[in-house]
Amino acid sequence: MSYSTFNRKHFDSTKEPMFFGENVNVARYDQQKHPIFEKLIEKQLSFFWRPEEVDLSTDRKDFQRLEEHEQHIFLSNLKYQTLLDSVQGRSPNVALLPIVSLPELETWIETWSFSETIHSRSYTHIIRNIVNDPSKIFDDIVTNEEITKRADSVSLYYDRLIEMVNIYNTMGMGTFSIPGKGDIEISMPKLKKALYLTIASVNVLEAIRFYVSFACSFGFAERTLMEGNAKIIKLIARDEALHLTGTQHMLNLMASGKDDPEMAIIAAECQDEMRQIFIEAAEQEKEWATYLFKDGSMIGLNAQILGQYVEYITNVRMQAVGLEAYFETKHNPIPWINAWLVSDNVQVAPQEAEISSYLVGQTDNSLDDSDFDDFDL
Amino acid sequence: MTSTSKPQGDEKTDQVHRVLLGKKQILVTEDEPLLVQLERAGIHVEYQCREGYCSSCSVKLLWGHVIYPFEPLAWVQSGYLLACCAIVKSDIEIAFFD
Ligand code: FES
Ligand SMILES: [Fe+2]
Ligand SMILES: [Fe+2]
Repeated sequence: MSYSTFNRKHFDSTKEPMFFGENVNVARYDQQKHPIFEKLIEKQLSFFWRPEEVDLSTDRKDFQRLEEHEQHIFLSNLKYQTLLDSVQGRSPNVALLPIVSLPELETWIETWSFSETIHSRSYTHIIRNIVNDPSKIFDDIVTNEEITKRADSVSLYYDRLIEMVNIYNTMGMGTFSIPGKGDIEISMPKLKKALYLTIASVNVLEAIRFYVSFACSFGFAERTLMEGNAKIIKLIARDEALHLTGTQHMLNLMASGKDDPEMAIIAAECQDEMRQIFIEAAEQEKEWATYLFKDGSMIGLNAQILGQYVEYITNVRMQAVGLEAYFETKHNPIPWINAWLVSDNVQVAPQEAEISSYLVGQTDNSLDDSDFDDFDL
Repeated sequence: MTSTSKPQGDEKTDQVHRVLLGKKQILVTEDEPLLVQLERAGIHVEYQCREGYCSSCSVKLLWGHVIYPFEPLAWVQSGYLLACCAIVKSDIEIAFFD
């Protein structure tokens, strides 16, 4: 069952499951099995933004004035986000495109991955602006123990799925002994299980793992520090909210049996493991918060509050994929974060009057009132 | 852009419904989604997008009827509603986490 970039078979793709059916041939959207994925594509395209449109000159000055432990918080989060988006910018493509069977879902995966590359480029934009030697920061991502620990957990399921699909595409079904890995059993149920758990771990990555970092960015911005960065994070958070809906749809469709009856059985068998993925990720994120604040907290945020927030958001995300909320924390300990996370085009509180004018052209953060003196009204 | 704050159609309904939440009772109209009306009543509801695509505002719907003027992009679990875009159409009872 090797992959073909243009499957010659004649078949009705609306009868195929999302994954592990026929390889997609014609990229057509006139008939769709799950129109939701085209709606996600349209929404994602409407979100398009470029990092260079956000002016960061004030952030540079702000950064120099941050205390050392605050710089540690800021840079560590940036490194972690860089890691997450490095993974997300390629892995949905590498892991899912060889096994997807619906044109609308294939295109959603590509659109989704593409938007992650914007996130990655935005980190370079931020880092270039605040430090003279970006290499110091980027190089640390592959050596810093706290970050590499995270890299292991975010890439684990992806890598396993990719490996299994590679074997499946070259050797077919059976048990194969792979040098250094021992025996690997390839069967459709095993492949589907690996896929289901991968989607769960991606949901966790986008719906939980980013949020500690989001909270810190907005925590700085609440003190009117690093506001350019916060604008970028707002745009990233808007994209991520859409991405997590994508994986929630995949998980819920799989579990419902409406897409692939066999997948529903596997999803039911995997409920405990999926639960564990959510809980473990939450624990890792709480540990991360402790690492961030090891030398000192920032106003309004500390490891304990962030830990509670992680628990709270994990409960919200678990419920969204049909799992019971696991943690005791039933209230958001930092409700102010939502006013930062909200899409710009929706007005919430009066203090959130700021709109996406920075998307239209580059705004200059250093403008002050005197710059407008020449304007006669 | 999906505007979730507009009522469907132009005609104003005078319908008022009761929303039960634990021991609290909040009166809401059909003019706006549930979320803004709960907020005005001083109740904190989790949200992010306020446009129906992130599922953060998902709340348990124990009984009663709500509609969506625009089909939300987020998956709506059975027995739940999305507060940011749901219009309440009858008395309802809702719950946050148990
Ligand atoms: S706030 Fe995003 S779906 Fe309601
Ligand atoms: Fe991203
Ligand atoms: Fe993402």
